[in-house]
Amino acid sequence: MNPRAEDPGRCGDADCGQALHRLQAYLDGELPDTDLDDIRQHLSDCYPCTDRLSFEEQVREIVRRGCSEEAPPALLTRIESALDLGGRGPGFTAPGFSA
Amino acid sequence: MSDARASTPHPSQTDAVDGTRRELTDDERRERFAAEALPLVDRMYAAALRYTRDPNDAEDLVQETMVKAYRSFHQYQPDTNLKAWLYRVLHTTYISMYRKAQRRPQEALQEEIDDFSFYDELARVGGSAEREVLESLTADEVKRALADLPETFRLAVYLADVEGFAYKEIAEIMDTPVGTVMSRLHRGRKALQKALASYARSRGLITEDPEADA
Repeated sequence: MNPRAEDPGRCGDADCGQALHRLQAYLDGELPDTDLDDIRQHLSDCYPCTDRLSFEEQVREIVRRGCSEEAPPALLTRIESALDLGGRGPGFTAPGFSA
Repeated sequence: MSDARASTPHPSQTDAVDGTRRELTDDERRERFAAEALPLVDRMYAAALRYTRDPNDAEDLVQETMVKAYRSFHQYQPDTNLKAWLYRVLHTTYISMYRKAQRRPQEALQEEIDDFSFYDELARVGGSAEREVLESLTADEVKRALADLPETFRLAVYLADVEGFAYKEIAEIMDTPVGTVMSRLHRGRKALQKALASYARSRGLITEDPEADA
């Protein structure tokens, strides 16, 4: 249908069967072990696919970076008190008030 | 169905003498939850922001998730991935808090994205400049691009690319078949890149391709 969708990085090799979804699965760590040698061999021979792989990695990296957040400190406090995790649970004896 | 698993004693919950499972005491449960789950609050807040797209809702969602998770902490299998379990709770809590009210039909990616390739668009700027275009995208643009994806695609991409969950874990978190996760990821990533490309284009970082339809 669309040759590019099955042909990352304008891989010119007629035998290039490394579709984009396979590169993605490889990056996801989801390719079966039996396919790993195969794709690594292909990547070592195929600059366009290697370049495409590093592009996809870089996109993920900027998405990861862009999405990092710190929770407002008050949220943790709210959660601790909702869960009674602040040391006020059963069995807790406030210092200075025990016998 | 889950009986076999539930009755399998786990070492940390197993009495050394007779091998039967015992419940953690309240104190042990509280200690473990505080030590293992609370450090994940930042990550869960970031995820909740991607779920709800609103800071106040995100805080409420995380708090409700942690309360639910603590209450059902005895159901957590200690040898499994705590983070994945917490995200499963986050997901179901989100659906019960926010999606029930809206009852919106499952969204689909309507637009045609199969032919789109950010990679090819960037290749036209050439050389190392293409990496600089990516690097110059701001956190705000990334968040907006993600926020604009239909929900199921947004969540799949977030859980895979930001949180690093395996397909199987995402399938469990989202309660959907692995094959569905894979197709959401494939299409969602393309749609995300299309949105990122349009931000890059609108800032003049890449130019319109005069032969785009050639």
